[in-house]
Formats: sequence, structure tokens, C-alpha cells
Amino acid sequence: MRRRWLLGLAALALALAACGGDDDGGGGAGSAEKQYKLTLIQGVKGDQFYVTMQCGAQEAARAAGATLDVAAPDEFDASLQTPVVNAVVAKKPDAILVAPTDTQAMIPPLTQAKQAGIKLVFVDTTTENGAELAESEIASDNEEGGREAARTLAELTGGKGSVLVINVKPGISTTDARAKGFEDEIKKTPGLKYIGQEYSNDKPEIAASKATAALAAHPDLVGIFGTNLFSAEGAATGLRSAGATKKVKIVGFDAGPKQVEDLEQGIVQALIAQKPADIGRAGVEQAIAALKGEPVQKKIGTGFVVVTKENMNSPDVEPFLYKSSC
Amino acid sequence: MSEIREVPPAGTQEEPADRPLQAGVQGALRRRLTETTTWTFLILLGIVAGFAALRFEQFATVFNFRNIAADASGLLIIAVGMTFVIITAGIDLSVGSVLVFSGVIAAKVMLALGGEGWGAIGAGLVAGLVAGLAWGVVNGVLVTKARVPPLIVTLGTLGMALGSALLITGGIDVRGVPLELTTTIGIGQLSGVPYVVIIAAVVTAIGVITLSMTRFGRYTYAIGSNAEAARRAGINVDRHLIKVYALSGLLAGLAGMVSLARFATTTIGGHSTDNLAAIAAVVLGGTSLFGGIGTVLGTVVGVFIPAILQNGFVILGVQPFWQQVAVGAVLIIAVYIDQLKRRAQERGERR
Repeated sequence: MRRRWLLGLAALALALAACGGDDDGGGGAGSAEKQYKLTLIQGVKGDQFYVTMQCGAQEAARAAGATLDVAAPDEFDASLQTPVVNAVVAKKPDAILVAPTDTQAMIPPLTQAKQAGIKLVFVDTTTENGAELAESEIASDNEEGGREAARTLAELTGGKGSVLVINVKPGISTTDARAKGFEDEIKKTPGLKYIGQEYSNDKPEIAASKATAALAAHPDLVGIFGTNLFSAEGAATGLRSAGATKKVKIVGFDAGPKQVEDLEQGIVQALIAQKPADIGRAGVEQAIAALKGEPVQKKIGTGFVVVTKENMNSPDVEPFLYKSSC
Repeated sequence: MSEIREVPPAGTQEEPADRPLQAGVQGALRRRLTETTTWTFLILLGIVAGFAALRFEQFATVFNFRNIAADASGLLIIAVGMTFVIITAGIDLSVGSVLVFSGVIAAKVMLALGGEGWGAIGAGLVAGLVAGLAWGVVNGVLVTKARVPPLIVTLGTLGMALGSALLITGGIDVRGVPLELTTTIGIGQLSGVPYVVIIAAVVTAIGVITLSMTRFGRYTYAIGSNAEAARRAGINVDRHLIKVYALSGLLAGLAGMVSLARFATTTIGGHSTDNLAAIAAVVLGGTSLFGGIGTVLGTVVGVFIPAILQNGFVILGVQPFWQQVAVGAVLIIAVYIDQLKRRAQERGERR
């Protein structure tokens, strides 16, 4: 009896281990160059923004004859991302592309990674000392994205009424910059009253309740800018349940499948789409340049596309909609 | 149970309850416990051996194990408290929320006192621990005096503690915790061992000793196997249960302090499944959800099985979603093996 279970255990361990056995083969470009091992650590599992980034990164890695693994925490939180970073560092890849989930709390594990001799490239988000830690920081110019959102919302609302920002949570470099850009730009439209920002904690249900609460407090609410996927999606849900879809215009950030669906149905009026695939691609390129000792670009800003119901199927815009698988 | 009836009726002293319980129930228990704990320990060894065989140089390093231990320290502290609660046939769903609440209170106190220096840190830590303890006492009192089932009480306080934390912070992580706290306790090491690991190890050691060698531990087992019998044997069951829930709250508070020290921010969003992770660890460790059976050492094993699975899977480069599936499967397999063992044993006993 006992022996049989031991065998069972051994089989289990092997079976578990076998799941991951295929990352050694493949990917070889056949060149004499060293085949670099890269790992992309996303901010959270299953977010289409990161999936699209992964697609771009994988494409670039394949082109460069490098391998790319992907790891991610269950939620966008430093306490859950730290074990993932630590495990990846133990694996000793040549370089890590990482989207830090907190500007401060992720510094210790990432410093440890750098001390272990791993090249770091920050994609999308960064840390307070990002310039020191990372070879290169690649992100959309998020302030410009926020300004773009303000201009779009001013146009959609006709420039009269109260507007609200639903942000994720403080301490995320990208979304903070979007909110700041929005706040700066919205003041240029005198008819619009900026009533401040609320935080969704990256949870659609919280964004929904904040949106309906703001609607109750400010009957003249005409526009909401949701600074990320879940914030805009949640705000849309809240407005739908409050029956205010017509009255309040929503500008979302990012262009995931659900948001594009919302756009099609007229629940969200415009999306400021980033170019996550470009971020992933540039991340891999910079990492490999750093590994080869070639010059790197310390900061790279990628652009935006404003997506509306009218232009979403055009060939200029369609490639920038986010993917849920490569 | 016949031994218990020989005890003089309640009201005399608490002491007489000890010896018969220890001799009768515990002797049989201990044999059973060592067996189940051994099994999960073998699973843990199997997993470690599997990963080490596949990626020895990456997985089996001091660096890696140090990080795994540091990352698991918070959950381990919570799970030690949870072990006591589950042995009394109770449950504490509120631990993750209490952790966040304690962290928020501690951070707020530290900031209110100027945000730097050991005075502010000390006051903050004490405040955080007291906050955790207070939630634990609330749980205990509601379970015993109001007679609301623990599942409901702690589901309620789960919401209340997290809600209060969100009210205090406006849903925003509190930042700006004194730097000294992070650089010393948070990421510092004592001859290669992180302080947070030392803290967790000390808590575990105290837990092991308390549960297996003290009257507190014996009462915990006795109440879990049969609360009514324990009451008739002269144990003040209500008072003891309040202490057990208070302990769980206090340890959740301590885990909150460890988290605060490590991340220098309150990580409000990161603990929504801590309660389930702790319960899973306790059950993996051979503790029965029906009470009366369990060990702290088993729980240690139960904490490290998912931690090592996650670490190993990242090292192997397994797609992130598979990790959740595998951890869930291992939980069920471990408990299934445990059940088979118990059934076999019961058959043996009957014969």
C-alpha cells in the first residue's frame, strides 16, 4: 500500500514537472549567436493589454532567436508579484522584462534581480528609481494619453458639465500620469468642471459603484474618463445600471475585446488605445541590445490611437485593438 | 470518552481535566497525526525533488529557498493561528481583511507620528497588533456568546475589517511608511536569514509548543473533538474559544506588520484570498475541518506546498494559469490520500 502511493507521488511530481518541459527546445535561429533567455513578468494574469504586449515581445524574441517565458501574479499587487519576481530571478534568465506593480514596493525584489546580474527592462510601468534599475524604460507617454482623453471627452460632451476620472490606485506610474495629463488638459475647456478622481482598485464592481455614486452626487455629470481597462469597463456597467448611458460619455483607456464591444454598442464613446505590442517588441529589442553590450535607449515612448465606433474597423486602427491570445 | 466521565463534575478546578484527556484522547491522536503529517511531508519532498531534478541549478539554491521562505512568511504566520481555530472545529475567514486593517492602522499611526524614527515605528506596530487582536476578540465573542456560527461571524468581519480599512484609506494604499522599517525588518537579514523568516519561525515554534505541550493546546484539541465533553470536564469552553480567535486575529495583525515592513505599503488588494490560502495550508497539513485533529508542523508543510509549486512553475516557465489548476489539484489529492489512510486505519481499529 505504502509503496504504491510513493510511486503515485513520484508519478505526480513527474507529471507536474512535464507540463513545463517544452521551453528548452524550439526557438533556435540556428545562428552562432548566443540564444538569450528572456522572461516577461506581467502586472497581472489574463489582462489583454499584457497579452498583446506578450504577443509583440514573443514576435521580437523569435526574430532575434531568443526564448521568452511569461510569468504573472494573480492580482495587480506588489505582495503577489514579489514571489513571481523572486522565482524568475532564481531561474537566472539573461534579462527580465517587467511591469512593476508598485513604484516603491517592487524596488527590493528588482534590486535583488539586478544584483544577480540580470538585465532589467521596465515595460509600461516603472519604479521610483527606474532610471537606475532598468536598462531601458518603455511605456506610452501616459500624460499625453491623458491629454488626448481630455480633448476627446471635451469634443464628445460639447464642453459643458461635470467630468470625473476613475483611476486605478495611487502609486502606479502610468495611470497616475494619465490622470494628471487629463486634469491639466481638461482645464483648457472652461465649460467643463473637473470634479476629481475616484479609485477603482482595478476592480470593475468598485468602478461601477463609484460611477453611480458620482452620478447621484453630481446630476450634471456628462463625462467619465476611465484610466484603465477595468475602470472604464466598470464605469460603463455602473452607468448602464443607472440608465445614464446616453447622458454620460465615457472615454476609456486601452482597447480590450470587451471595451471594443462596449464601443460597438455605444456604451463607451471613445478609447485611447496604447500600443502594447510595440512596447513588448521594443522591450525585447532593448534587452537584447543591453545583453550584447550595444547602446540602449534609456526611455522609449510609444504612441496612441484614438478608437471610435466609426474608425474601429479601418485598417489604420484595427491592428491596434488588443488581443486575448496571440 | 469513558475516562472523561470519571472526572468530578464541573466547578471544582480546571486542572483535573488535563490528565485523562492527555492520556486517552491524545495518545491515540498523536499516532494518527504523525501519520498524516508524514504523508503531506512526503508530497512536499516529492515536489521539491521533482523541481530539483528538472532545474537543479536554478531551483535548489540558497537564494531561491531564502526567497520562497520570505515570501511564505506572512501566510505561515496566519496559518499557525488558523490551525488552532480549525482544531476547535471553527474557521476564520477574516484573516486577510484583518491583516489589511492592521497594516492600515499601523501605517496611519506611523505617519501621524511623523513618519520616521523607531518611536513611530514601535507605536505603529503595537497599534497594528492591537487592531488585529481586537478583531479576533470580536470574532471570538460573537462565536461563543452570540452563538453565531464561525463561518458567518468571520464572513461578516471579513467584510467589516476590509470595509473599515477602505473607509480609513479611501481605498488607497497608505504609503510613506518609515524607511527604517523596510530596510531592517522588511528586507534585512541575520546571517543570511531574512528577519521576516525568523519572525515566522519563532511564531511557528511557539505554536508547536503551545499546541502540543501546554494546557492551552490540550483544551484546543478537547474542544475540537467534543465541546460538550470538554465543558463537562470543567473546561471554560467559551473563554478558551475567545482566546483562540483572539490568537488568530493577533497573528493576522502580525502578518500585516510583516507585509507592511516588506512592501512599505498596505497592499490592500493583495490579500483577498489569504483566508482560503491559509485554510488550504492547514487542511493540506492534515488538520481536520471537523476539529480535534491537527498539528502546526503539518501546517508548515501545507504552507510550503503551494509556495514551492508556484516558484517551481515559474522557474519551469509553465503558463501562469496552470499554476492555480495544479495547486488546486494537489490540495484535493493530498486530502484524498489522507482520507484513504484514515479509512484504512479505522477499518484496522475496528478489527
